[in-house]
Amino acid sequence: MAIGAYTMAILTVKTGVGMWAAAVIAIGVSILAGLLLGLPTLRLRADYFAITTIAFSEIVRYVALNEDRLTGGSQGTINLAGAGAAVQYDESWQRFQTKVQGWLHLGSKDVTMLVLVWSAALVLLVLLHVAVRSPWGRVLRSIREDEDAAASLGKNVFSYKLQSLAVGAVLGAVAGLFYAWQFSFFSPDDFAPLVTFFAYTIVILGGTARTWAVPVGAIVFGVIYAGTRFFDFPPFSYFDSADRAYLRLAVIGVILIALMAFRPQGLLGKREEMVLE
Amino acid sequence: MSLLEVRSLTRSFGGVRAVDEASFDVEAASITALIGPNGAGKSSLFNIVSGFLRAERGTVRFAGRALRRQTPHRIARAGLVRTFQTPRTLTKLSVLENVLLAAPHHPGERLVRVFATPRFARSHEAIAEREARRLLELVRLDRHADDYAGTLSGGERKLLDFARVLMTEPRLILLDEPMAGVNPTLGAQLLEHILELREQHGVAFLLIEHDLDLVMRASDTVVVMNEGRILTVGTPDEVRRDERVVDAYLGAQV
Repeated sequence: MAIGAYTMAILTVKTGVGMWAAAVIAIGVSILAGLLLGLPTLRLRADYFAITTIAFSEIVRYVALNEDRLTGGSQGTINLAGAGAAVQYDESWQRFQTKVQGWLHLGSKDVTMLVLVWSAALVLLVLLHVAVRSPWGRVLRSIREDEDAAASLGKNVFSYKLQSLAVGAVLGAVAGLFYAWQFSFFSPDDFAPLVTFFAYTIVILGGTARTWAVPVGAIVFGVIYAGTRFFDFPPFSYFDSADRAYLRLAVIGVILIALMAFRPQGLLGKREEMVLE
Repeated sequence: MSLLEVRSLTRSFGGVRAVDEASFDVEAASITALIGPNGAGKSSLFNIVSGFLRAERGTVRFAGRALRRQTPHRIARAGLVRTFQTPRTLTKLSVLENVLLAAPHHPGERLVRVFATPRFARSHEAIAEREARRLLELVRLDRHADDYAGTLSGGERKLLDFARVLMTEPRLILLDEPMAGVNPTLGAQLLEHILELREQHGVAFLLIEHDLDLVMRASDTVVVMNEGRILTVGTPDEVRRDERVVDAYLGAQV
């Protein structure tokens, strides 16, 4: 996400590359970063691999935080062109969004953004769904279960892992781009590890190994995360709004624990798949 | 030139030489049995030949090509495919998917092809599915084609692994105790299939098997291992008469 968003913003502001071209390059750079990360770390066992990827994202964040001249540092993209010279990277996006809003006769910018993001998500989800159900996806599923078995049948396990990393990098980059466009401003703090853990939460909520579990999980998570702000009935009304903002994190935690206890396969997952050995 | 040539293969674990200067050949379209008491190094030898384990010394040549430092998937693609002692069934895939996975040169397994030439990928998948169903019929698992493979019994999993290996269109199959846990009637059928595959398609087999009756009846050549070394190589009759074999192996059982 961070690499996608920053590459796009930096190229647009600093080099005069068009924003759309910058966005495409950003996706390419993200893929490259993903592959580069994968080459040395894919030999690691699943959980250690997860830890190194989180560490890698932290490295990216710290670089963004400290390379002031490249990224604007802790002040974020507002500082991209140096102090005092406020430049925006999303003029093209704003024009595009206004146009779409006109075409579809939508009420507000926010609604337009909602439509755009969900359309993009839907397209990507359908593509992913096709990929996962293809023979290609079958190889990935076999590797998830037993690498040696897949290798013994002639499948190049390493290559498939790299491919799945690349696909993940594309999705992350696209998410980063939309994030950057929605807020017209971002800083390294927006890519704190918490974001990764929210993503895990969404996957666990929806159910692992199911394409459509991700949007379902995202909606449920979004409703809980944003919706709990508006809890103004007891017991939540005993707290003021600032405290409630923290309380909702606790609510999410409780929901996750309950889910693990009563429905470990997630909302859409198949329980049978968890017990098969 | 033999199909498989194993020369002075050596590998130790700690101080123990699991495989010690092992040399033997497997001829094309032959059935070679690898026998020996537990811990003789048979499975380690399999692991080295199939690329899952590195040898410290020695060479393996398959169809004239050296396999040293080859990865397991390359060896499998070259036509040398193995099964495992405990079946490596992919339990979360369906029985049919397990077999389909083994289809060689499948264009649908390339992500670009899935989107660029979807029709080609799909038509290949249809052909593969027909072949997979035929193989499942062969091992009598066609009734379970759409069940999760994790619902199969141990013996059925052995058969599924066998069908999966056949799907790769191999030239040499390494079978690690193919009959263990398979009911005798089905085992006899399995043996028929092995003989038939050899006759009709020239497939060679190297198998580890503890059922000596079966070994003596079915194999052309018997390789006897003991404590990492090749004790002797010969026809079933020769091996049966060899006193060293009787001492090391058969004697221990009687």
